[in-house]
Amino acid sequence: MTTVSSPADRETRKSPPSPLESLRALRAAGTLAENYPSVAPLLAAMVSGGADTDFRRAGHLLLQLDRQAVLAARPETETAVVALTGHSTIGGVRAPLTAEFARHGVLVEDRLGDFDAYLRDLRDPASALHAADVDLALWILDPQTLLDEMGTPWQADDLVRAAERKLAQIESLATAFTGNATAVLVLNTVPLPRSVTHQLIDHESRARAGITWRDFNSGLLRLALGNPRIHVVDLDPVVASGVPLDEPRMAAYAKANLGDDLLARYAREVAHFSRTLRGRTKKVLVVDADNTLWDGILGDDGPDGIAAATTFRGEAFGTFQRVVQQIGSQGILLAISSKNDHEPLVQVLRDHPDMVLRECDFARVNANWQAKDANLRDIAEKLNLGADSFVFVDDSPFECGQVAEGLPQVAVVQLDEEPALHIEKLLADGWFDTARLTEEDRARAARYRTESERAELQESTGSLEEYLHGLGVRVRLAEAAAGDIDRVAQLSLRANQFNLTTVRLGAEDVTARTGDPHHLVVTIRSGDRFGDNGVVGAVFARRSAEGRDLHVDNMLLSCRVFARGIEQTAVAALLAHARATGVRAVHASYRPTAKNKNVREFWPSMGFTPTSTADDELRFRHDLEKLPVVPAHILLDSPLEGATS
Amino acid sequence: MTKEDFIHLVRDELDLPLSVDDLSSDFDHVVSWDSMHMLRLVAAVERETGSRVPVGRLLADRSLAAIYERVSAA
Repeated sequence: MTTVSSPADRETRKSPPSPLESLRALRAAGTLAENYPSVAPLLAAMVSGGADTDFRRAGHLLLQLDRQAVLAARPETETAVVALTGHSTIGGVRAPLTAEFARHGVLVEDRLGDFDAYLRDLRDPASALHAADVDLALWILDPQTLLDEMGTPWQADDLVRAAERKLAQIESLATAFTGNATAVLVLNTVPLPRSVTHQLIDHESRARAGITWRDFNSGLLRLALGNPRIHVVDLDPVVASGVPLDEPRMAAYAKANLGDDLLARYAREVAHFSRTLRGRTKKVLVVDADNTLWDGILGDDGPDGIAAATTFRGEAFGTFQRVVQQIGSQGILLAISSKNDHEPLVQVLRDHPDMVLRECDFARVNANWQAKDANLRDIAEKLNLGADSFVFVDDSPFECGQVAEGLPQVAVVQLDEEPALHIEKLLADGWFDTARLTEEDRARAARYRTESERAELQESTGSLEEYLHGLGVRVRLAEAAAGDIDRVAQLSLRANQFNLTTVRLGAEDVTARTGDPHHLVVTIRSGDRFGDNGVVGAVFARRSAEGRDLHVDNMLLSCRVFARGIEQTAVAALLAHARATGVRAVHASYRPTAKNKNVREFWPSMGFTPTSTADDELRFRHDLEKLPVVPAHILLDSPLEGATS
Repeated sequence: MTKEDFIHLVRDELDLPLSVDDLSSDFDHVVSWDSMHMLRLVAAVERETGSRVPVGRLLADRSLAAIYERVSAA
């Protein structure tokens, strides 16, 4: 049946309300508090739709929302308490802070200190900044914080002294604060105003002022490196991206030394930092393909008709691919969700000369004709990660809207038809921000990819033996070199399951051992047909003075390579090496912990005999008469004398 | 910029529950008015009209009507 709308209907039909209009409608109906869960998606839609003015206005609207009413209607709402202090008028940060936190579903309570009361706020343990329930203490620094330390007229030397004095004061106040209070302290670098440098007319003084100012900012950033309870928002890159430092009239008449636009961007950074602290960092970047990774539509234009290099637009896409790759190199899993046939798309990733990103860069490639929210659910399931850890990037407003609707927990980055702006849009939010990266993070993508390939091989082969033969495992044992120190120390500090004595060694201890001729520090590397695993284990041993005995202090192996015969291979090679170098007996022990029960029988399984048994330590000895053999499926390679005989 | 436009802008930008009557009231009688509102309002007017408003002089004005006079003259 076909229904035809009447002309009257058509006349009264309006376009759907904008997200801000929806927000206002909820407020007008008095139902905003109980509908608080719908606020975050509305704000997200304003941001991804580029409605900056609406987002700003929404901030002022939400600032007036009664927090207690929200908590009464929605007690499950996530909350945060932010205390603010500074030298100038910083009230302009309240509305954007409210909106930015609300965008992440967090109801924020902001506690604004008195004007220019930062010295008291930081020193007085009874100040609002020190309250036990404060999550973040924002100490907003502005140029006057420094400039007000100087008299007039001033010279470059005065600025040097003022900056040194101020930095020392900030350092001591910040350190004392993190000792006394429970909140994380957030500082910011202070962009250098031209109206300061150009008060100095000689180039030499101007250069010195510039150096001094940057030293001040560098000093602030160093504070954060040395203290995990201090975070510094770097405002220099924000100002460099075109956000004005201030509005001179606001500065003159209202003592607002940082402009509203800059404070809004600052608020965005702070909200992302708060996410990081809550462990809500995104882990997966899902990108569309057509007009996102390359110029053109594969299905219509064919592989020869798409470009990610050589043409003006093509090159912009290629540059974008490099940034996606850059993000992937830091432990963020990459995936594709594209409406295309699977084969031709994979063929482009394999063969197309323009591509920076290749098939191996992606943990999943979902190219099909299903709805994109269904594809994201599928990717989440296959990677065994929640969709709330996903960021989705697409140039199509339709697809972006569909994902935002179907999976509101996914962060959506909406691109448009201008590829030169793709990078800026992708990086506008700190979705992937994290405190610190480890090697584990960097290797994550490769691990996920090869694990899924290994899983496929295991599914397609019958027995474990067949699987191991198909895997083609390679093991290499070598003395640790200078470049291995950090990795070996990290394994020693982190490995819990295959850690026979749990003797933890830091980088300095490992360095000391590698430099001592009596000590032997052996790295275990492995790889297979799917890729290189890198350093997966280590053995720490020491020779007795006369060289007849070798004592194994500890042996470690990363849990991701268990049960492939690597541990047996390592011990077989180590014992062969011992015998070849004149050792008569190898001694080893096992010290039980809560997590290493599975390796209790490891030494006996390698032909070691118990010599003493106590609750806290089992000791073993191997007389090197009959050596264990390297498993048949493993290819061993080692420069250690006698190890591969 | 008409008076209507101006009032709309004040409502939208500052999210203050203003009526046309408030246009002539002294700021002391306008709900939760503060000087930051003035400056934000100026910024919004400038964005809207593309011309600069003499803020320094505006600060002495005590009502939205007076501000509107200056703004529309700018």
